[in-house]
Amino acid sequence: MGWLRNVWLHRLLGLALGGVFLYASAGKLVDPRPLVTIIWGYRILPPGPINLLAIYMPWMELVAAACLITGWKRRAGALWVTALLIMFTVALGVNAVRGIDVACGCFSTSAADTHNAWLLVLRDLPMLAAALILLLAPPRANAEARRPSSAPDPVRFRS
Amino acid sequence: MNRELVRDAALLLALALALGTAANLVPGRRLAWWGRGQVPPQAGVDFQLIDALAAETLRVTLPTVVVIDTRTAAEYAAAHVPAAVSVSLTDVQERLDESLLARLRGADAVILYGASEETDVEQLLAQELRRRGLAPPHVVVGGWAGWLAAGVTPEGGA
Repeated sequence: MGWLRNVWLHRLLGLALGGVFLYASAGKLVDPRPLVTIIWGYRILPPGPINLLAIYMPWMELVAAACLITGWKRRAGALWVTALLIMFTVALGVNAVRGIDVACGCFSTSAADTHNAWLLVLRDLPMLAAALILLLAPPRANAEARRPSSAPDPVRFRS
Repeated sequence: MNRELVRDAALLLALALALGTAANLVPGRRLAWWGRGQVPPQAGVDFQLIDALAAETLRVTLPTVVVIDTRTAAEYAAAHVPAAVSVSLTDVQERLDESLLARLRGADAVILYGASEETDVEQLLAQELRRRGLAPPHVVVGGWAGWLAAGVTPEGGA
């Protein structure tokens, strides 16, 4: 499974996943108020914290997306994207079990934009897998960079 | 999970909290910090859905009808329903002054329309009008495009 630590794979996954989250956050950043209706539609949270989630979640998506794309604190960005995706998947899964087709609020803040909740869960899973790779299998280049300068060079040591 | 990762994640969280807090202080897009008692707009309670043809019929038959255009100022300037008032959700505080509210209260019908099939913004604005003591306004399904298709002669533009 060494290919999972390929630095180019991480760059590619970072760009793709970051691009998705950047796009997802854009509409909600402009005006978070329709997002309140979307979050309410999940019928999971009480009214109080719904506004806090609508205020801060799009910014968390933006910050995490920027990290994934630029590579700055990419693992931390992947950690937040993983947490967000787990939250989304659980919320969608709860409504899928209830048999409710929710407006997911993923890329649109329209409450009329409803989809089959199971399909939305399935759509989240590849993104979750990508986020977990970025989080749990840091690229080899990082491992090299972290090697202490005092440690013997493996090539010279052999010779 | 190593300490560096936890520290970086906390840094990103702090950044998002700071940005979210700053953005929520901007007038026009502000949300109450704690949504106590806030419920989404409900059809039949906060607004009544109406198709564009029925909206056009109301507009031309009732003596005093106020039509509210919730699209952007540029879209409104390009073309709008005759005599429509431009009120977007982001300038509610400024636009819903006492004179407009008095006009809305005295109207036989208040009709809201937006840019597209999605009526979320109109529903939220309708809820805001309800909070200010107005009867549930009508929200046009299909928005501006629907109203055009219903045969209205647009006003505005060049």
